Amino acid sequence: MNKEMLELCAWVVKTAKVAGADACMVNLDSNRSVEVSYRDHRPENIKEASTKALIVRVFVNGRYSNQSTSDLRKDALRDFLANAVVATRLLAEDPYRTLPDPKYCQGRAEVDLELADAAYASFTPENRHELAKAMENACLQAGGDKVISVTAQEEDGNQESVMVASNGFEGYSRGTYYAAVAQMTAQDAGDRRPNGYSYAVTVCRRDLPSPEEIGVQAARRTLDLMGAKKIKTETLPIIIENQNVGRLFGGFLGAMFGRSIQQKRSFLADKKGQAVGSRHLTLVDDPFIPKGLGSRLYDNDGITAQKRVMIEAGVLKEFFVDWYYSRKLEWEPTAGGPSNLVIPAGQRPVKEIMKDLGRGILISGFIGGNSNPTTGDASIGITGQLFENGEPVQAVAEMNIADNHLKFWHKLIEVANDPFLYSSSRFPSLVFENVVVSGV
Amino acid sequence: MAEMSRRSFLKTTAGAAAAVPVLAGGWQHLLSAEKPGYFEREFGISDALCRKVLAASLARGGDYADLYFEHTIGNWIVLEDGKVSRAYSDVALGVGIRTVKGDQVGYGFTQELDEKAMLNAAAIAATIAAGGKTEPAKQFAWLKTANHYPLVKLLTDVPLTAKLPLVQGVNEKCFALSPLVVKVNATFHDQQKRIMVVTSDGVKAEDLQPRNYLTAAVVAEKDGKREQAGWNLGGRRDFSYFSQAAVEAIAVKAVADTLLLFDAVQPPAGEMPVVLGPGVTGVLLHEAIGHGMEADFNRKKTSTYCTMIGKKVAEPFVTIIDDGTIPGMLGSINFDDEGIPGQRTVLVENGMLKSYMHDRISARYYKVKPTGNGRRESYQHYVQPRMRNTLMLAGPADPRDVIRAAGKGIFVQNVSNGQVKIGEGDFAFYVSQGRLIEDGKLGAPIKDINIMGNGPKMLQNIGMVANDLELFQGGTGACGKGGQAVPCGFGQPSCLVKSLTVGGVRS
Repeated sequence: MNKEMLELCAWVVKTAKVAGADACMVNLDSNRSVEVSYRDHRPENIKEASTKALIVRVFVNGRYSNQSTSDLRKDALRDFLANAVVATRLLAEDPYRTLPDPKYCQGRAEVDLELADAAYASFTPENRHELAKAMENACLQAGGDKVISVTAQEEDGNQESVMVASNGFEGYSRGTYYAAVAQMTAQDAGDRRPNGYSYAVTVCRRDLPSPEEIGVQAARRTLDLMGAKKIKTETLPIIIENQNVGRLFGGFLGAMFGRSIQQKRSFLADKKGQAVGSRHLTLVDDPFIPKGLGSRLYDNDGITAQKRVMIEAGVLKEFFVDWYYSRKLEWEPTAGGPSNLVIPAGQRPVKEIMKDLGRGILISGFIGGNSNPTTGDASIGITGQLFENGEPVQAVAEMNIADNHLKFWHKLIEVANDPFLYSSSRFPSLVFENVVVSGV
Repeated sequence: MAEMSRRSFLKTTAGAAAAVPVLAGGWQHLLSAEKPGYFEREFGISDALCRKVLAASLARGGDYADLYFEHTIGNWIVLEDGKVSRAYSDVALGVGIRTVKGDQVGYGFTQELDEKAMLNAAAIAATIAAGGKTEPAKQFAWLKTANHYPLVKLLTDVPLTAKLPLVQGVNEKCFALSPLVVKVNATFHDQQKRIMVVTSDGVKAEDLQPRNYLTAAVVAEKDGKREQAGWNLGGRRDFSYFSQAAVEAIAVKAVADTLLLFDAVQPPAGEMPVVLGPGVTGVLLHEAIGHGMEADFNRKKTSTYCTMIGKKVAEPFVTIIDDGTIPGMLGSINFDDEGIPGQRTVLVENGMLKSYMHDRISARYYKVKPTGNGRRESYQHYVQPRMRNTLMLAGPADPRDVIRAAGKGIFVQNVSNGQVKIGEGDFAFYVSQGRLIEDGKLGAPIKDINIMGNGPKMLQNIGMVANDLELFQGGTGACGKGGQAVPCGFGQPSCLVKSLTVGGVRS
């Protein structure tokens, strides 16, 4: 616990009340981040900074506003809070806008989420340069004579957050992160210069894959794009590679929020208890995964985190309902948004599944696209590999899949055994049948 | 830091709208571009301090260094379920310090504008170089530029009570227009960004960049089906831009676009002629073609345009410009974020690729003058070559002839969620509003489809350009690159692309 930060937040709550607020919630974040990138065997960018931000949610006479500042001097904050109260009084009354009932903030799990790496303090500037250099070298070597450009970047940081509210809520979290990414551009036929990348993000340094692995993977992913072209429009099975599932699922997720439902912008509004996907689709929101990038003990309202099965064997069980929209909808609140989203892993690796499918497309990237949360219609560009007899035969680009989410997830026929761990969306590769992939 | 004045305390608080009664009348002189010195007056940033910090950032050598001071106040008010019951404010204050050596960049920033914090950030920036020190200029001269977004009144002087009727007006008008409307969200945003750039080669430049928008997002229900659409107007506008007429125009367009979707069909999938309608479809030009002409991608040979300067890339009736000088447009800048005056850059002239968009680093590499495209999201970010307002200029054709010439295909009215792969030139765009074209005439509305293609191929494939250039007057357009969002403007006349892939569901 950072006593100084906690005391400042408590002072802000008190001062806001003196200024006329009926209730108040304060978030104070303190971050430090460092970034080093390499290109042509030299540092391309070096960046380092510390930031602080104070966000205050003010409730006055049934009115509400949310204001932020980075100026944490008490004199400045006193004016800031006085002005916040005056501004809030000018807004319309909103009976649904309150701090949560404290009963929803009780019973916080007493577990160590292991979000701060004890080794962080010993991570030196030299370590950063070595990491970036090693990624660059590995990628250059694996890319060979096809390389036009390679960039390797390391970023890391640590943060502390305190949340205090006038309803008695107090919360503190501390965390570290390391991110490593290598990207390569290759010379293909004509003027085509495909670009591919590989990355990892972790809480602890020891969980990062080796820089060589990231560099080689970036080269491999780039070389896989060589010679890409569009093929004839065809109905095929597709496999969406683990790290890309989140982007497509995002269109589904957008309709799972209380706000979307209350604002009539959700194709899932009346689907609770119904099958919204095949029996292979299970989705768990798990805030308690040690070292998870989305792990937490409470949400943005201060509501105590709970593990929830959101979709079970295709059946929609829960929505993400924050405190405000729970009041508007007259529902129980759940969580304001996802923590770690987990689709439980299946049994088989992608390679084995490809063999069974025969001919299909392994999707390794999405481009553009959109998903309409009101109707569920979605359309998105793809890149990847056409495979036959389980073996890649042609890189594909400039192709597209389009469907409605309420139909698409019923086409899920298998979940692979390879969850992507470098994201708060821990999704394995997913296999769908009968998908129209449009091209020529 | 010099003692901060009482007024500075108020300005570093987010409740700026409410602070107006306290401050009224005191700031008018600051509107004038001829009276720079805001950061010195309010935060004690003197020339001597700047020189000291620049010297520290060049203490280990380097070719160039700059300081980017920023003080931004942003406000949002949101109407939902008929009430303006939510407001957000945000204040950003800080300085970014950059040291450049060749194409290498060191960067530090601080939220505290005192000497110690700035020297610390400068020491971080300086680590990019490793040699003897470089001396910054001894004196700094104010850069004089035209003002492409003059204000009658500071946005921070507009009281909240003057903004409330805008979102309330949008809400009332949308509901009045159709009984099918079931939900309306309306937002008004205004942002006042003050910046000062001080460079090691002796330039000081100060600007006040306004930004604002009024949006409507509408959901309508008909026979158990729901559709959504929205519209917005804005840019770098004086508050007087948001008139009753603007409120009505936003509501009318948002409601009409929503209702049209009930009759929309999905077109067949496959390759077909595509007509880009005038205005907001310029975002496709921005993504599919513009990004590839940003000089950093070409300097690194990662753009497909890196070998094409001086070559024919389109038919002679195609001219594309990137213009930072259009009054009130979202992408206009009096000078860029490294102190180069805003200007009009011709990228493609009569079909020939003439220039990339440069920042100082790439201009030095190509031995050309910077084009004023060096931009950054905030003091927390380093400069990249970025677009401003990117437009295709009007051509000779009648827009009706362009649709006729397409024969059978689609007409695109509004697009969103564009993305391009710079190296391949491949792009994908989501068509949120459009029409079928059948027998050379506009047919049923279409929705929820993607169009895909290749930027250079599309440019070559532009078969006709009409005489109806329209500038998109919206205020929400933000372009993302390298994790940074900057406001950009678009413009486009109707044009025929002979063939693109349309991603419908029917084959």
